[in-house]
Amino acid sequence: MKLSYRLLIIVVIQTLVLAGMVAKRQWTLATGTPVVLETRPVDPRSLFRGDYVTFNYDISRLNLQALDGDDDFSRHDVVYVVLEPGEPYWRPRAVYHAPPAGQVTLRGTVQYAGEHWWNPETGNNEAVRHVTVRYGIEDYFVPEGEGRALERPVADETISLRVAVDRFGNGAIQALLINGVERYRETLF
Amino acid sequence: MSFKKQLEQRLPHWIEQGWLSFDGAAHILDDVAGGEHHGPRYLTLAFSLLGVILFGAGIITFFAANWAAMPKLLKLAVLFSALWGSYALAGVFERRDLPLLAGAMLLLGVILFGSNIMLIAQIYHISAHYPDGVMVWALGGVLVAWLMRSQPAMVAALGLGVLWTGLESQGFGRAVHWPFLLFLAVSVPAVLRYRWRIALHVALASLLLWSWFAFMAMSSWGRGSSAAIYLVQVYFLAYLALFIGGMLLHIRDGWQALAHTVQRYAAFAALGCLYLLTFPQLLRVTRDGAEFWWLATAAALLLVVALAGWHYRSHAASARPRFLNWGLGLLGAVIVLLLANLAAERQSAGVLALLFNVVYFLGLLWLLQAAVHLENRVLVNMAFFYFAVTLLTRYFDTFWSLMDRSLFFMGGGLLLLGGGYWLERQRRRLTRQIAVHGDGAA
Repeated sequence: MKLSYRLLIIVVIQTLVLAGMVAKRQWTLATGTPVVLETRPVDPRSLFRGDYVTFNYDISRLNLQALDGDDDFSRHDVVYVVLEPGEPYWRPRAVYHAPPAGQVTLRGTVQYAGEHWWNPETGNNEAVRHVTVRYGIEDYFVPEGEGRALERPVADETISLRVAVDRFGNGAIQALLINGVERYRETLF
Repeated sequence: MSFKKQLEQRLPHWIEQGWLSFDGAAHILDDVAGGEHHGPRYLTLAFSLLGVILFGAGIITFFAANWAAMPKLLKLAVLFSALWGSYALAGVFERRDLPLLAGAMLLLGVILFGSNIMLIAQIYHISAHYPDGVMVWALGGVLVAWLMRSQPAMVAALGLGVLWTGLESQGFGRAVHWPFLLFLAVSVPAVLRYRWRIALHVALASLLLWSWFAFMAMSSWGRGSSAAIYLVQVYFLAYLALFIGGMLLHIRDGWQALAHTVQRYAAFAALGCLYLLTFPQLLRVTRDGAEFWWLATAAALLLVVALAGWHYRSHAASARPRFLNWGLGLLGAVIVLLLANLAAERQSAGVLALLFNVVYFLGLLWLLQAAVHLENRVLVNMAFFYFAVTLLTRYFDTFWSLMDRSLFFMGGGLLLLGGGYWLERQRRRLTRQIAVHGDGAA
């Protein structure tokens, strides 16, 4: 095969892979249903990728006994979490192995499945079947030096995120809100 | 002393003896001197590769530092044009017959492909399972290696593959990361086809590392506490099969150098497994899960027997070296012993360990014979290394509780001094013997 053809194949395939990453995210941002999720930021620094905030969502740890749907999950399982609107945040309603039709559903992967958890209100370790889920929307990159400010919000400051959820369950962060007001907003390109 | 200087000293004597004409000697010296001029080429390669790595790291940190200042579209434009530019330059250098610079540009392309994956993930806040990004990066490297016949790209891709399987199995607790074997299945054919020796080293080392990760995960499979012992048997057979595969490769013209590399890694791992089975303490576990491992052992045994049969039949009876015949006998003894270990109870551990020791030492002797026949000096060194380690281990096992401590250490010291001297003499004798016949492996 000619040198130029071989190089062209490499360039086309690698470009398609990278463009696919961009297109998938853009499509989710453009077509997804916006949902506002309650969150707590932690851990603000990436050595090579600048400042970022890692979010621990209210829906990151799910009490399976309090939700509809399936309850037999193990580590690495794919889960579909059905969300319903609340005021001001969207809340989980059910968890399934397979995506249910016609509902706003966020797709995630089980990081941990357990039978007991610590209840901060009672201070006791209680028998509760639960899962910890990662949705792929946990990291948000911010301009250099601003990560630490987000990690330690001042008193009465609440941080939430508006996430676009597409019909396949993929999520993409649309905006970061402080006390319900947009601080950072993602635009198409 | 360099090879050229040695020749300069010896050639006048050879001319004097009439073995070589004066002109012939001059041509030989010219040829060797020409070969030694390859040094600066490697220097160019080293500088090119270092430059590529520094440039790639600079790009990553530049974007990290200027993250906020650039609009998304501009970031994407820079990322894609850098990627395309590096491959275009590779094409230009290739056409101008500058293969080292072309190779460096291809490697830069592979690095940029990976940095682009990371940076696009940053731009779009993608934080999904990040080992997937490393996997895609590694596959991008394999694509470049296959299409451009680039060994540096393949070495980089295999390194990334190791990172990927390490992240999956250690960082994310995948029980056994089988997809890595698929990755090797698409990479290794290129390594063999283009006879890339450095890449073959990396591929085999990565296979050993993966099998260690898999061992840690699989040793808890099945019922009972004896899974690790049965798994060591399966591993031994698998690496023995790889060693025989190396022997099959050795009998093909032009494949000896690659065959030597395969044999070394396979022998190292197989001997390590057999060494573990010589410990009575390890064999004395509660035997309550053997039935789970019969199938895996049987499959590995079939593979070993099939490959050994293939190798045996590829030699005409008249030309068949003696070591192959008694090697087959030894293989039969090992198979019987492995099956006996599967069927045995823990009470038989002492007898089994004794028999494993006998087979192990016979195996080392066989390996020495095979190494001389295969002209593989590293195998000779390896056999002596395992022999010395096992001798010391048995000395500690046997005499630690029997002898007074001072006598034990004195005896151990004498064993080290005397045994070390004898082993070194034998090792040198055999490696010299191989050197006289010409060692295909560098």
